[in-house]
Amino acid sequence: MRKLRIIISSFLVLIPLVFTPSCTDLEETMYSGLAAQDFQATADDLASLLGPVYVPMRAMMMGWQGYFDVMEEPADIVVTPARPNGWYDGGTYHRMHRHEWTFTQWQPTNLWNNCWRIINTANRVIYQIETDDIPLEGQIRSKTLAELRGVRAWAYYILVDSHGNVPIATDFSDPDPPLQYTRQEVFNFVESELLAVLPDMEEEVSTATYGRFTKWSAHMTLAKLYLNAQVYTGTPRWNDVVPHVDAVINSGKFILEPNYKTSFLTENSGSGEIIWSVPYDDVLATQWSQHMKTLNPNHRLVLNMEAQPWGGSCGVPPFIDTYDEDDTRKADTWIMGPQYNYTTGELVLTYDNYLPSMGGDYGPLATMENGYRLGKYEIRVGARSSMSNDFVIFRYADALMMKAEALLRSGNAEGAATLVTQVRERAFRDNPAKAVVTGAELLEGSSYNYGWYLEGQVINPEGGDDIQYGRFLDELGWEFALEARRRQDLIRFGVFHTKTWMNHNPTNLTKAIFPIPEAAMLTNPNLQQNPGY
Amino acid sequence: MKDNFSETGKIGTRRNWFLLLMGLGYLCSIFTPGFASMHGQAMAQQITVSGVVTDASSGESLPGVSVFLRGTNTGGVTDINGRYTINAGSAADVLVFSFVGYDTQEILVGNQRTLNVALEPSVTALDEIVVIGYGTQRRGDITGSVSSVGQDDFQRGSVRDAAQLIQGRTAGLRVGVTSGDPTASAQISLRGITTLRGDASPLVIIDGVPGSLSTVAPEDIEAIDILKDGAAAAIYGTRGTNGVILITTRRAKKDVSTIEFSSYLGIQSIASQLEFLDAEDYRRLIGEGYGFIDHGYSTDWLSEVTRGNPVNHTHNLLLQGASGNSDYTASLNYRSWEGLFAKSDNNVMTLRLDANHSMFNDKLRLNMNMISRNQEFWTGGDGYSFNTYVYRQALIRNPTDRPMDDDGNWIERDIYFYDNPSAYLQETDGLNERRNLRMAGSAIFTPIKDLNMKLLVSRSANTELRGFAQTKRHVSTTKYGRNGFASRGTSASEDFLGEFTTDYRFELGDHRFTALGGYSFQERMWEGFWMQNWDFPTDLYTYNNMGAGDALTRGEAPISSNKSSSRLIGFFGRVNYNYKDKYLLMASLRREGSSRFGADHQWGTFPSVSAGWRISHEPFMQDRFGEILDNLMLRLGYGVTGIEPSSPYLSLTTLSYGDRFFYQGEWIQGLAPGQNPNPNLRWEQKEEVNLGLEFSLFNHRIGASFDVYRRYTTDMLWNFTVPVPPFLYGSMLANVGEVENYGFEAFLTFVPVRTRDFQWKTNMSYSTNTNTLVTLSDDTFQTDYDFFYDGHTGEPVQEYTHRIEIGGPIGNFWGYKSVDIDDNGRWIIEKPDGTRVPMDQTTPDDKQILGNGIPNHVVSWNHQFSYKRFDLDVSMRGAFGYQILNFTRLYYENPRVTQYNMLKSAFDDVYGKRVLNNDLALVSHYIENGDYWKIDNIALGYNFNVQSISAISSARVYVAAQNFITITGYKGIDPEVNFSGLSPGSDHRDKYPTTRTVTLGVNVRF
Repeated sequence: MRKLRIIISSFLVLIPLVFTPSCTDLEETMYSGLAAQDFQATADDLASLLGPVYVPMRAMMMGWQGYFDVMEEPADIVVTPARPNGWYDGGTYHRMHRHEWTFTQWQPTNLWNNCWRIINTANRVIYQIETDDIPLEGQIRSKTLAELRGVRAWAYYILVDSHGNVPIATDFSDPDPPLQYTRQEVFNFVESELLAVLPDMEEEVSTATYGRFTKWSAHMTLAKLYLNAQVYTGTPRWNDVVPHVDAVINSGKFILEPNYKTSFLTENSGSGEIIWSVPYDDVLATQWSQHMKTLNPNHRLVLNMEAQPWGGSCGVPPFIDTYDEDDTRKADTWIMGPQYNYTTGELVLTYDNYLPSMGGDYGPLATMENGYRLGKYEIRVGARSSMSNDFVIFRYADALMMKAEALLRSGNAEGAATLVTQVRERAFRDNPAKAVVTGAELLEGSSYNYGWYLEGQVINPEGGDDIQYGRFLDELGWEFALEARRRQDLIRFGVFHTKTWMNHNPTNLTKAIFPIPEAAMLTNPNLQQNPGY
Repeated sequence: MKDNFSETGKIGTRRNWFLLLMGLGYLCSIFTPGFASMHGQAMAQQITVSGVVTDASSGESLPGVSVFLRGTNTGGVTDINGRYTINAGSAADVLVFSFVGYDTQEILVGNQRTLNVALEPSVTALDEIVVIGYGTQRRGDITGSVSSVGQDDFQRGSVRDAAQLIQGRTAGLRVGVTSGDPTASAQISLRGITTLRGDASPLVIIDGVPGSLSTVAPEDIEAIDILKDGAAAAIYGTRGTNGVILITTRRAKKDVSTIEFSSYLGIQSIASQLEFLDAEDYRRLIGEGYGFIDHGYSTDWLSEVTRGNPVNHTHNLLLQGASGNSDYTASLNYRSWEGLFAKSDNNVMTLRLDANHSMFNDKLRLNMNMISRNQEFWTGGDGYSFNTYVYRQALIRNPTDRPMDDDGNWIERDIYFYDNPSAYLQETDGLNERRNLRMAGSAIFTPIKDLNMKLLVSRSANTELRGFAQTKRHVSTTKYGRNGFASRGTSASEDFLGEFTTDYRFELGDHRFTALGGYSFQERMWEGFWMQNWDFPTDLYTYNNMGAGDALTRGEAPISSNKSSSRLIGFFGRVNYNYKDKYLLMASLRREGSSRFGADHQWGTFPSVSAGWRISHEPFMQDRFGEILDNLMLRLGYGVTGIEPSSPYLSLTTLSYGDRFFYQGEWIQGLAPGQNPNPNLRWEQKEEVNLGLEFSLFNHRIGASFDVYRRYTTDMLWNFTVPVPPFLYGSMLANVGEVENYGFEAFLTFVPVRTRDFQWKTNMSYSTNTNTLVTLSDDTFQTDYDFFYDGHTGEPVQEYTHRIEIGGPIGNFWGYKSVDIDDNGRWIIEKPDGTRVPMDQTTPDDKQILGNGIPNHVVSWNHQFSYKRFDLDVSMRGAFGYQILNFTRLYYENPRVTQYNMLKSAFDDVYGKRVLNNDLALVSHYIENGDYWKIDNIALGYNFNVQSISAISSARVYVAAQNFITITGYKGIDPEVNFSGLSPGSDHRDKYPTTRTVTLGVNVRF
């Protein structure tokens, strides 16, 4: 039986291996990664922990299919027609232009996702501070919490505007998908959050607070909320706009820059007009792709660019036609006419204020040179595929114009005219008389020649005379064109669903909010789709 | 060393060509006299030998056995009673007795005048040794679905890797060469798609140690065994789902010393040429009003970037020796392959050493082996070989343009995505160097008979060093202002394996048992380092002086490094039972843990059981069919296997520093969670049931095996879409899906003709598989999605190509069904309800399934003919019942996009009506039937008579053609396109075109 012993013991040799810890050790070792369990935050990590709240704003604002597209593509200033190098992209730009989006449309989906990244991250950091996982004390603690709640409220304000009836989540530790609230309820939440945190908020305006959500950003957000309250809730709140813009105006911390362009230069962070912006850097903080989307590929030669643009998007000719010939903002906003080689001076291309159609099924294809290009933000010589200009969310001129609109709509047209004139002055420096606007003028209609546009002609012109405060809408267009806000203004002035422009026909008011995106609908059982979708 | 390497690879190919031809001529001249003299020899002999040839096992006489004098044509076959008579030249002659199904015997004539010979049935039957997991088994004992392909049946000619050797040689394992890139490996898939996000490649084991299909040179492989079903593969636990390919390298036989030299040379040409417009067409069409631009020249852009006739040559030198208690094998393999495109190449040198020694009366057997593989190839980018963007540019470049102006400057045009292909290629240089060193040793201790204890330890280290640079004449500078660009990267991986196994075989009367137990520990590690830089003072540094560029200093250029590791630990056991070769049973169990899984789910259990009934050995069958029936067996098996997640750390909460944030005037890095952690992450589990029937008749002249199987994957890994909040990110990897595959495989072998001079062997395989995505939900993760998309056209069309629906198969094309064209040249689309509307009136709801990219039927039919000293192999393969999305036509068969060149067929009438006048769009017009039948490989060989040359024991020359003839209605270059992944059947426009190869080879044994 020695044989049997040998056989059995030769198999039994395996058994100790089962009980030897090192032989069954499956612990994961991380080298170039960081396991959460190995990290303990200190107050010094605050900056790094705050970063992820703000970072999504870059992709959100001027990134590919971002907020700019959400606010401008459905409106009457910017279009992306099909061209020989593409720009049909499965009809996505046509759907934006014609308000034919469904719940799979990328642009509003991207906006939704970015807002939730901000909200979710803010919730997480608030939770970490409140549970002392990030140990903060005293004023730093209260200011940081106020800032985080403020940013979060701002993101909800964006969602109130874009998607209306959205869920509200404030507790990071809640394991369940959040419940959906009505637009009115979300409005109330944003209002109460901002009012609650105002006293604790940072008031300083300096490099130390640049790019951050301060007390002045909170006032501006509240003013925007009240300005659009009638759209969001059905109840106008014009009078509530004024104290918040006045707080900004009377703070003395901001000015109307003498030069309109100052706020949009590559190095615009020094502009005294900027209340809040999203800082970009073309090396360290990229994702600004909007200039790539508008410029003709050959524009590379004009600016000696380090990237070849793919553009793209351009101005709607009837809007361009509304500018006063002496309004310097036209040239400050649009890239027009002949463009010359940076090195040789030879003519490279000529942008014309003409489009055949949106292309595709609506008419002839636009050429690569049709349409004025989007040039409000300076595109520097040698520009890369991203830009260093900071994207302006709130600026002082907007505080003045919000106040003007609130006054105008409350019956004080003359008071409004004074403010509008103040904003116009720098645009008519060579012809100051033209800067002056009267209250009566602001009560007139719009000069925009609405109607179906084909091959340089407005067919069946509708005009803009019937638009209440249409002239004021025009003023907003000239001052704020290409600042990712036209959709909101058109809705507030009742134009969004009633007028024809380019190859867009009037739709209905349900299009004034976007559908809850497909992924959200399918993953959160608490959600109901917005009406009309 | 490195310089010599590339010398022969790039510059010396033409010279080698001639050397080889001269060598062949020389060989012929040596052999011809011997060849002619055999007739004379037949006249001179005087010794007559005769006898009877019998079967050694049954004692019955064997008719038709060939008997001849070694090295000559003199001889004959045995008569109906097994008798033969032969005239030998001298007592020193050797008689060779050979018969299919039996071992060949060679006997010295000497003084004998009567020679009765008993031939042993060869071990191609039940006693053949088959490699299975952790050991070998008699073919007759196997109850799982295992295919074995030996050297004699390998594909001949220019073979890329181990997979191509067995292309079409086994049912259910599909092997295809879908890229002409000389560095590309063959694509393989086994029994359908069982995973959505896991790794879909099979586990490859070379002599017991995990590796890849290119770890050893194809010329150095003795046999390949494939464990197809779950029962056979379950012993490999979490890695067995995609099948296991076991490669056995060549090993010295007892008391034999040989040197073998083999060499072949191949010339490639493009499999089929796409017809694009040339300069004359441009001028004619401009005359007809089309908006092309005439630059006044005439250039064939494709010929500007391709080689005339790319050459590949491969040489293999094998030394084998065995004496007493030791044997060794050493092989050196050198492969130098040129690609169709200029600069594209692949050079590989592999050295393998294998030494065995036995001591203490074979009680202790030791093995040491080492494989060292060095690969170098030109690279046009980071980590890959040829940049196929150059190919695209050559296709779409205006044929009336020219590469350079009169001053020698490359001509660039400012058109979107449009770069001079010649400049792009010529102003780029790069090199990838890969080194693989694998060392393994094992000791087998046999304390008593049939009890083996084995310890195996191996360490495999891979490193890659790569670099590529673009000069200041490249568009990276001339268009994008980089001022010279370079990239450099390196990666390393290390794989340690330690295994201890014990096995014991014993018999109790007619009951035979085998038991195996084992432990396995595997640790894998990966490291990488990568950087780019630009703005260099000179082009002369290329990628060799990365610090000389300024972009890194300015913070513009990227630099990164990473490291990760994972572990796999397994305990396993297996028991085999055999009763009189009639009733067979096998059961195995593996308990395996992987560090990649969530903390609560690291360990899993993978059982299998299979049984076989050899009906032919039952008395009632023996009585009736014993004469004709060699074997008839029914097999039934069940086994569970798994797939690991593709990378480590997926179950953990990770933090990462990343995107920067403007904080008090500085750009600091934000810190955020990197993923949704899933502590419940575990392996994908696949259960497979396999029912097999195999038989052979008439002394193995007819053989067949049939298998039906059902594979059911549960806990399938999927990036599940989750709500944000409460989750941090919108998707997380979770075990949620289920997918089902069932199918049928048949493999038939025949030997229709078996005479002394002429033999014809043939085999056929057929397989079909049906795939269904059953669900993408489980108790925790519920989805309302009943579909997802995969595959994308890329710009400017920007559409998904495939839609995978729950309840449907993977591989469905999705889009608008074009059925007609209107008077304006716009598509007419048929909606799912059958109504027809113009393209501009469609909505996304009007899309429908337009076909499927995975063939329903995969067939192969191979022949081996031998006539006297000639042999001829013909391999044919086909795939039927599937569709291909022809991207080339989608993008280049549209006369509206006149800024780029296009196919001549763009001006053909569509639906016989008129020329297309629609923007680029993904419609069913570009989805074609892919059915094809290929005469894939023809190899004609001749074995020289080497009797008169004592130093040479055999010499063979052959000529082979691969991818020779394709019969298909498909309009693209090659209907054999990507068949794996979730968007199969896409024939991408940038695909490196496949080639036809003609090979000339020689094989000499000393």
